[in-house]
Amino acid sequence: MFERIKQNYRVTLLVIICLLAAFALFSPTMAPETDVGGEDATAREGVTNLRYGLDLAGGTRIQAPLIGLTAEDVEFSGDGEATVAREVAAELPDTEETDVIVRQEFEDEPGTVEVVSRNITESQFDDALNAAGYEHGEVSSGVTQATREEAISVLEGKVNEAGLSGSTVQEVTSGTGEFFIMTEVPGEGRQDVIDLIQERGSVRVDIYHQNDDGEYVNETAVLTQEDFQTVGTAQQNDRQGPHVPVTVRESSATDFQQAVVDTGLAQGSQCTYFEDAETTDPCLLLVVDDEVVNAFGMNPGLANDMQSGEWAQDPNFILTTGDFEDAQRVALNLRAGALPAPLDLESGTTSFISPTQGEEFRTNSLIVGILAVFSVAGFVFLRYREPRVAAPMIVTALSEVFILLGFAAALGYPLDLAVIAGFIAVIGTGVDDLIIIADGVMAEGDVKSRKVFDSRFRRAFWVIGAAAATTIVAMSPLAVLSLGDLRGFAIFTILGVLVGVLVTRPAYGDILRYLLTDR
Amino acid sequence: MVAFEVPEINYTEYSNRQLAAVPLALLAVALLILGGWYVVTGYPVDPGLEFTGGTELRLDIDGNDADARAQIAEEFDAEPDSVRQVATDGSYIVTFRQGDATTTELETQANDAGFEIRSIDSVSGSFGADTQLLAIGGVLVAFGGMSLLVFAMFRTFIPSIAVVISAFSDVIIPLAMMNLIGIELTLGTVAALLMLIGYSVDSDILLNNSILRRTGDFYESTNRAMRTGVTMTITSIAAMAVMTIGAWAFGIDLLRAIGIILVVGLLADLMNTYLLNVSLLRWYKYEGVR
Repeated sequence: MFERIKQNYRVTLLVIICLLAAFALFSPTMAPETDVGGEDATAREGVTNLRYGLDLAGGTRIQAPLIGLTAEDVEFSGDGEATVAREVAAELPDTEETDVIVRQEFEDEPGTVEVVSRNITESQFDDALNAAGYEHGEVSSGVTQATREEAISVLEGKVNEAGLSGSTVQEVTSGTGEFFIMTEVPGEGRQDVIDLIQERGSVRVDIYHQNDDGEYVNETAVLTQEDFQTVGTAQQNDRQGPHVPVTVRESSATDFQQAVVDTGLAQGSQCTYFEDAETTDPCLLLVVDDEVVNAFGMNPGLANDMQSGEWAQDPNFILTTGDFEDAQRVALNLRAGALPAPLDLESGTTSFISPTQGEEFRTNSLIVGILAVFSVAGFVFLRYREPRVAAPMIVTALSEVFILLGFAAALGYPLDLAVIAGFIAVIGTGVDDLIIIADGVMAEGDVKSRKVFDSRFRRAFWVIGAAAATTIVAMSPLAVLSLGDLRGFAIFTILGVLVGVLVTRPAYGDILRYLLTDR
Repeated sequence: MVAFEVPEINYTEYSNRQLAAVPLALLAVALLILGGWYVVTGYPVDPGLEFTGGTELRLDIDGNDADARAQIAEEFDAEPDSVRQVATDGSYIVTFRQGDATTTELETQANDAGFEIRSIDSVSGSFGADTQLLAIGGVLVAFGGMSLLVFAMFRTFIPSIAVVISAFSDVIIPLAMMNLIGIELTLGTVAALLMLIGYSVDSDILLNNSILRRTGDFYESTNRAMRTGVTMTITSIAAMAVMTIGAWAFGIDLLRAIGIILVVGLLADLMNTYLLNVSLLRWYKYEGVR
């Protein structure tokens, strides 16, 4: 028994790999995790662990670049981020200070300046920086990595809040090096997703305090989005911890100062809003879409300036937060709860597939695949008229597809039409190679001994290896380049060829030997 | 039962020139078509939506065909670039050129008209131009890589160049054919062309290997390789033809595009391998300088 297994180790290997594929496909323990938006539920669809891509499941995909220009290595000559933003914005047409993002990682070192309003040219931006007196390096189109990451986390937050499970937001790079933000939302219509992405969340600051009767009340909207002149980026240092620097517009500063004094916030306060809202000192509440996302106290220094009225002369403060992520969230929310830079939907791609259409594609592409298999099978039977040769051929070719499906399930790679085309291509090349083996082995008369078989098999295998290598070389540009859906096609064709050459086609050789030689 | 037998060709009856004439003439015609197309339209092959930018909608519309087409013409402000009906489910695939209307406008108009939207795809012009460049680069790299690999495997000039020329022709003939039957270049067809580069050299490698590496008479080796090679290629053509017809009936454009290119390309490969390649190898074997 053991000897038999050893002699046919290639078949044994094929069986083991098929079992692994079956495990990956059907075992609930291998069920894929959900992406953003899902609660604890797994994204298992139907009886298998396969996931379906957009064109087989229905939904919307939006791929678009962020609008913006970036200047590298800008010397701030001691100016703070808010000042730089103000100075640069003043030199640009139709640009608010909130449209200029200034980032300086370390004090006294050069940083980057981004302008994210539409219709600003590179030379305008270059001139504006010069006019404002900041030396700088190259100006290029596109935004910084940090801004893209912020945009992705804003979008993730949005799809999460909308409860759209199974959604993904990721960065993709085009072949020419341009960055795109790709948002995929299963089951939703195109316009709904665009609206969701472009919707501006409402953000305001309330003061939560005790009124004259000792009851806690909300002084709502003491500051709204429009009242902020600049919103810095989230930062962290030893002295202040994670925080976001902000500047209030002069026109709103006096009113805000008065409100702070009147509500008692300016006596200096320790905010315990989240721990115990019934005993806390007055708090500044950051409210996003009517939900309190953060509560701040006021430190004595700032409180003094407020009381003396000095603060309104230079109306800036920092919002400290518990951790850096919160600081990022606060910064994002204050930037109108919107993306740090607008998405340029006109320069990207959008696609929408209705769920019914997706379901039809799923069934129909399955039918097409089965028809292709039948035509191959029919042809092979006609050619060999020998079920002993032809039947294992079909079974072996199908096992290749089964193993690939296992791969897709294990990797969590969503199946789409391109991947299915890859499967059909794999059946095609697979059967081609099996024909080479069968013909190579049987061409020169009957196979009497194992030795004759092995030498013929090796000769046939040289051709198969060479053919496989050319297919892999030809498909590899597609697997690397970001040509949309076709990546899946290329990846699965290459995987299929590899599985074929390493596992299934040698196994077919063993099966054929068993059937043809007298052992 | 009908049996399939690969016919044996008596190559001795034809000279090398006669054998090579047909495939070379077809290649020349194909190149002429592509060149002419380039002169007239500015593109060797008409680029599809993914390369030029534009919007494609798939819609369910009530009423008979004439009525539905009239509704399409009436309800959209912009003029559609093409309108096509899907055979099995009766839905319509309507495309608009980039700049004629925004996707949002088209979506609103379709909704207002009461059409049921099955799918929408939109690609911006600039994105399409990038994609085009990338796709051309991809095909060139794939072809170059394949050529290098073939030269590395056979290490002799004539047999290697025979494979490369035949693969070149296998790609050019379907490209010219696309112009003749009105298929636009899409990402699907680019994938099919790359696939073709990999697929079509299989039978060439088999032939070269059989003639160069194995003992026996030239004609015997050729016929042996041919029996296997023709079976292989025809099996693939059968699978792809079925896929094309099925995908056409169901309106799955990607599979249809891949299938049709592979069918044409593999047919071209049958001709190139067993006429052009054989003649080059025979010349190399009997007359070539080694």
